[in-house]
Amino acid sequence: MKPKFLEVIDINKKFENINALKNVSLNVSKGEVICIIGPSGCGKSTLLRTVNWLTPPDSGKVILKGEIIGSATGKLTFEQNRSLNEFRARIGMVFQQFNVWPHLNALENVVRAQIVVRKRMRDEAEKKAIKILNEVGLKDKIDEWPDNLSGGQKQRLAIARSLAMDPILMLLDEPTSALDPELIGEVLSVLRNLVNEGMTMLIVTHELGFASKFGDKIVFMDAGEIIESGPPNTILKSPKTERLKLFLEKLSLTSL
Amino acid sequence: MLEYQIFFDYFPMILLGFWLTLKIVVCAIALGIPLGLILALGRRSNFILISFFATSFIELFRNTPFIIQVFLFYYVLPFYGLRLSAEYVGILALAAFGSAYFAEIIRGGIDAIPKGQLESARAIGMTDWQSMKNIILPQTVSIVLPPLTNQTLTLIKESAILSTITVHELTMTGLMVQGETFRPFEVFIMVALLYWALNETIASIMRRIEKRYSRNRKQNKIVRSNIDIIKSSGFSR
Repeated sequence: MKPKFLEVIDINKKFENINALKNVSLNVSKGEVICIIGPSGCGKSTLLRTVNWLTPPDSGKVILKGEIIGSATGKLTFEQNRSLNEFRARIGMVFQQFNVWPHLNALENVVRAQIVVRKRMRDEAEKKAIKILNEVGLKDKIDEWPDNLSGGQKQRLAIARSLAMDPILMLLDEPTSALDPELIGEVLSVLRNLVNEGMTMLIVTHELGFASKFGDKIVFMDAGEIIESGPPNTILKSPKTERLKLFLEKLSLTSL
Repeated sequence: MLEYQIFFDYFPMILLGFWLTLKIVVCAIALGIPLGLILALGRRSNFILISFFATSFIELFRNTPFIIQVFLFYYVLPFYGLRLSAEYVGILALAAFGSAYFAEIIRGGIDAIPKGQLESARAIGMTDWQSMKNIILPQTVSIVLPPLTNQTLTLIKESAILSTITVHELTMTGLMVQGETFRPFEVFIMVALLYWALNETIASIMRRIEKRYSRNRKQNKIVRSNIDIIKSSGFSR
């Protein structure tokens, strides 16, 4: 049997007294786009952050292409920490708050990790950065400081920063939630290009339109559990559970 | 009345003391700031032993009088076979004392950087140290410069205490000249003016540096051949 691309197995995570994640398991095939939806505080961001071990879970395993990213309880050993950094370099992550590095200009934001983590030569890293910044439509902002960029431009810069590392998996944590409505489109169109290129992606999002159009699968979470998952059409058009129905109703109310 | 002759007669001697103060303080700061950085990073280390040691060191030197620390260094070290001249003891004591404060200032600077900065650096595969060096510490520079300057000025003034362990620095020289001339006013005016001049000079230099770093920014040099690529892709610098 061919190994699965990404396996998330039985993840549990508690914050103080809150069960952020309860026995969450998820399988992702290569090239699949999975959109995670759910009310705020349901654990969808936490799930995303456990995949690259940014938030280490209390128990459970994450396996990428047959190799364990992190597993079980306790602290990682020195060796595990090393391989964790290698995994993270191959897993792009995009945050709601962009987290671009304000002390580096746009080009350097994309260059720095290539040099530090990937050990590329500066010349090569810059060429790659210029190419990717062109692709995300920031070619005239190469010299610009992040403070002078709009939210949408910052997020596209953050995506470019991840792409420069040649990721095989992208994790996107509400990539458009902090944006003004008129700027959401430019970020979504960059994501659409990624989908078309066959990138495997896990997206926490409230953009149901995007999710239904480009998601291969929608996962609905509530109170730390996966309640329903399946192809967008079934999930959004004929929800099985009361909770999902309620959630979708609320969403459609806000879009009025 | 002021006896102006005192100024002319004893200024060269006082200046000699000032020179020693300057040397001691420069050495103490050159040791203290890197040590402070190490302590600040040590304090937030995941290794309990390291963070315990760093925290203990900081709290010990922050919460005891400097003059007692000086006495401990001066009178206790020889018992353990470490016989250093008073000047070296002074430098060590000042550096240790200063580093505790420098460490807390740097820690405050690190804590002031939004959490997402470290997360994005770790998520892209940087180690903790790489994240610190490339992402966090460069952003703290503009935050920590003003309090670091403050602490440096304090350190210079605290160096006067080294006169109690016979370091012939500025204050000690002043005391000696005063004993010879019985003209405390003239002598200590000279001493005070020299401390003032030193601190004022450092403060104004730091103000200038602060201005330069106030925006935390430095354009990176781009490889020349890539500038052409940028230009040819329709972008003008």
